[in-house]
Amino acid sequence: MTKKELERLAELEKRTKEIAVEFGLLTTDILFEVVPAQRVLEGMSYMFPVNFSHWSFGRNYEKNRTIYEHTGHGIPYEQVWNFDIPRAFLVETNPFALNALIVAHVYGHVDFFLASRYCQHGRTMSYVAEEAHNAATRFAKYEEKYGKRVVEKVIDAGMSVMWHQNPDPFFEEQDEEEVREQLLAFERAKLERFKDIKSEFRKPETKQEIEKIEHRLEWLSSKTPPEPTYDILKYITAKSPKPLKPWMVDVLTVLRNQARALSPNMRTKMLNEGWATYWHVRIMRRLFEEGALTPEEHGIFNDFHSGVTEERKISFNWYRIGLSVLENVEERWNKGQFGREYDEERSHAKRLSWDTAANLGKQKIFEIRSHYTDRMAVEELFTDEFIHEQQLYFWIGINDGDSIVYVVAEDDPAVIRQEIKSMMTTYGTPIIRVGDGNYEGNSHLYLKHVFNGYDLDSRYRDHTLANILYLWGRKVYLETVIDGKDALVSCEFEKKQPKIKIKQ
Amino acid sequence: MPIIASEPTAERGRKDARRHREKQRDAIKERLPEIIADESIITHKKGKVVKVPIRSIDIPHFKPKTGDEQSGIGQGSGKPGDVIGQKRLPNGEPGEAGQEPGEDYIETEIPIEELIEMMLEDLGLPKLEEKEMQNITIELGWKIAGLGKAGIWPLLDKRATAREGIRRFWYFIRALESETGQDELTCFRALKQSNGVLADALEVVKTNSVTDQSESVEPFPIFTNEDLRYRQIKEDTQEQSRAVVVAMMDVSGSMGDMKKYLARSMIFWLVEFLRRLYVQVEVRFIIHHTVAKIVPEEDFFRTVESGGTFCYTAYEKASGLVDSEYPTDGWNVYVWHFSDGDDFDRDKTVGELNKLIAKGVNMVGYGEIDPDERGSSAHGLWSAFKDGLGLEEKTVNDMDILVGPDTLPFLGVRIEEREDILPALKTFLKKDRWAQ
Repeated sequence: MTKKELERLAELEKRTKEIAVEFGLLTTDILFEVVPAQRVLEGMSYMFPVNFSHWSFGRNYEKNRTIYEHTGHGIPYEQVWNFDIPRAFLVETNPFALNALIVAHVYGHVDFFLASRYCQHGRTMSYVAEEAHNAATRFAKYEEKYGKRVVEKVIDAGMSVMWHQNPDPFFEEQDEEEVREQLLAFERAKLERFKDIKSEFRKPETKQEIEKIEHRLEWLSSKTPPEPTYDILKYITAKSPKPLKPWMVDVLTVLRNQARALSPNMRTKMLNEGWATYWHVRIMRRLFEEGALTPEEHGIFNDFHSGVTEERKISFNWYRIGLSVLENVEERWNKGQFGREYDEERSHAKRLSWDTAANLGKQKIFEIRSHYTDRMAVEELFTDEFIHEQQLYFWIGINDGDSIVYVVAEDDPAVIRQEIKSMMTTYGTPIIRVGDGNYEGNSHLYLKHVFNGYDLDSRYRDHTLANILYLWGRKVYLETVIDGKDALVSCEFEKKQPKIKIKQ
Repeated sequence: MPIIASEPTAERGRKDARRHREKQRDAIKERLPEIIADESIITHKKGKVVKVPIRSIDIPHFKPKTGDEQSGIGQGSGKPGDVIGQKRLPNGEPGEAGQEPGEDYIETEIPIEELIEMMLEDLGLPKLEEKEMQNITIELGWKIAGLGKAGIWPLLDKRATAREGIRRFWYFIRALESETGQDELTCFRALKQSNGVLADALEVVKTNSVTDQSESVEPFPIFTNEDLRYRQIKEDTQEQSRAVVVAMMDVSGSMGDMKKYLARSMIFWLVEFLRRLYVQVEVRFIIHHTVAKIVPEEDFFRTVESGGTFCYTAYEKASGLVDSEYPTDGWNVYVWHFSDGDDFDRDKTVGELNKLIAKGVNMVGYGEIDPDERGSSAHGLWSAFKDGLGLEEKTVNDMDILVGPDTLPFLGVRIEEREDILPALKTFLKKDRWAQ
């Protein structure tokens, strides 16, 4: 990028901000960095602008780079981080119009970061990015000191379970002893109530009840965790009998924090991308009308925009579908196509021409960006009509021996809604809780899979258990369901090799 | 907020990508037994690359079983039942198809050479001896041999170069001192001010325009092209005795397609190994049914014959070769024979084998191809060798072998299936067998 172009882009950025404010978007200072494509590809591949070294990031990098170099597509459309000062990358070799588009798009994202209650939560953890930067240096030192392979093994194992967090994004993990105290206090209060009843009136049942509570009190005082916990990595880090060395604890803590910082954004991916796309269209249109962009540049913008929002036959285009749902909602709320009366109207023609001039569209979409997750949006806003209009379908790939044939399997809106919803629920991570960290009184780890109808993939399951075993050092159990039957999968070292056994 | 041009950072992606490829390579290594058993490798021309489909490696994590089919949400005109796309699967997909749906397959091309490289570890010809005429050259790779003033950038010896640079610095200081008569610090300031260019520094001192304020002399390296020092590399080789391998294969009627394939695979890889390991090793080919003949390599891998079997004819032929062309006082001789063990005159074969060993050959290797797993059939050559030579059958890594003592360098291996090829090769090429 020439100095002149850089100056022009800076001017355009200033104007973009003004327009964004005028449109009612929240803004803050944003740091735009002009970088070579390689940096953006690394950013896409490493979860943070700078992160520690790991082969899985290298694998992503190679994949992204191959796509970029061979097709020129897959160019990171935008790369922006939800930091205290949001930070965005612009590729120096991008056409000017594309960088202008990215600036506009980033302003959309930044508003979302500032207003969405989920992303706000993510922002409270934006120090994690700085930490990632430091972790890169620290981990490199660990590699030098303890050996590359050992460090890699610990990172591998930590990554295996890093996304297992409490499904409630606002849940604050408590200290184990605090939880224990609360539970104990609760039981004691119950006990008090029973003891208040005068002894002569005590029935045998009451006595039994008291014994039960006393038994539970005793059990609670030593039980770990006192209550099943979702945060597997945190539990392992704190309680592993292995025992973990300080540097291992450091590595695992970094991984856990990174997952926690990133997950709020993952819950709002569709809405966030849709929102940014919605606004970049409007900002770019305005810039063009004001003469800040030439017609030719506006043409280039249009090409990129339609590329990004193209219809995809066998994948879910977050940009397109996110944008469509917002535009659909805006139109419906402008026409008053919501509420009981509209919902109960059965005449298709009447529904179609329904217009109360309510003009609440803008208000509604701003409300969505502040309060909704993707899952909520699908549940409430992916109406049968919307799914039909968008021509969404559910496909399956049939393996016929030498190729996979993709076939439309289902266009029933109810099925599609359910499918998208399950895709967006905790982003595909099954719910697994630590039930006991001292199982069989022998420091064995007991995990429980909260079964939701889907078996676990067995190959992945066994390797994950082996990784947990590596961190825990003692036998690990997983209670799950296999082919409709309860199963207990265990993993322990036999001749130094992890050995899987299944009891059904 | 400004738009800033970013500070360049070291590229990490490539380095980490290398580690991923390394892990993939390890995965290939684990699957070597099935990869090298691929028939298409030996039926194709040499120098071919092998295509190996490998999965991109994933971090294991708990995830829902996705069933046998991929599925997902898409968009566009289409009714249930409409085909909306198709993707070809890589050839020769290993394992059960569709076991890991939705995974990316990367089809990697590996040159045969590299496959061999992976298998090679610690392999070599057993009992290789110093013979009179020394001319087998073993390539040991490259070694660093001293420093030079020319070379390629990656071989730049930074330490040695820095030493040269500092040496030049002091040389310049001394030159300035003697030329101008000024003290060391002044000369240093001038030199620093003019970025190490001697002529400029001289000018600065002479015109009294030293502005640099350094308080002490802090040497810094000054480089000219002459000061660059590169590591020199040299091919590292070692002279060894020469060797000949006589490869013999049974092509009689009882050798069905599978048997021939196993035998050819064994010999193909053995020969490839040796050519890779030793620059000069001669290989002679003998095929036999009721009579044996010496054939060129191309014919050896193609010949289809039939009829009965006299294995001794092959051993006779080998003895003849040793007598006429490869006397054992000047040659290391290795005779390898592959047959299904059906032999019309086993006693005579044992006799010929003994004669051959008596000539002082380094090793006689025998691979009994037994895909039907008949085991030690009492009528086979296997049991004839076992009884005739008084050997004990052992099982090493699930593989039946017969090994003679140091005085009787005979090795028998039973090959039952494709997966046996790699372990059998390793058994054949165990370098330290019969080492005192």
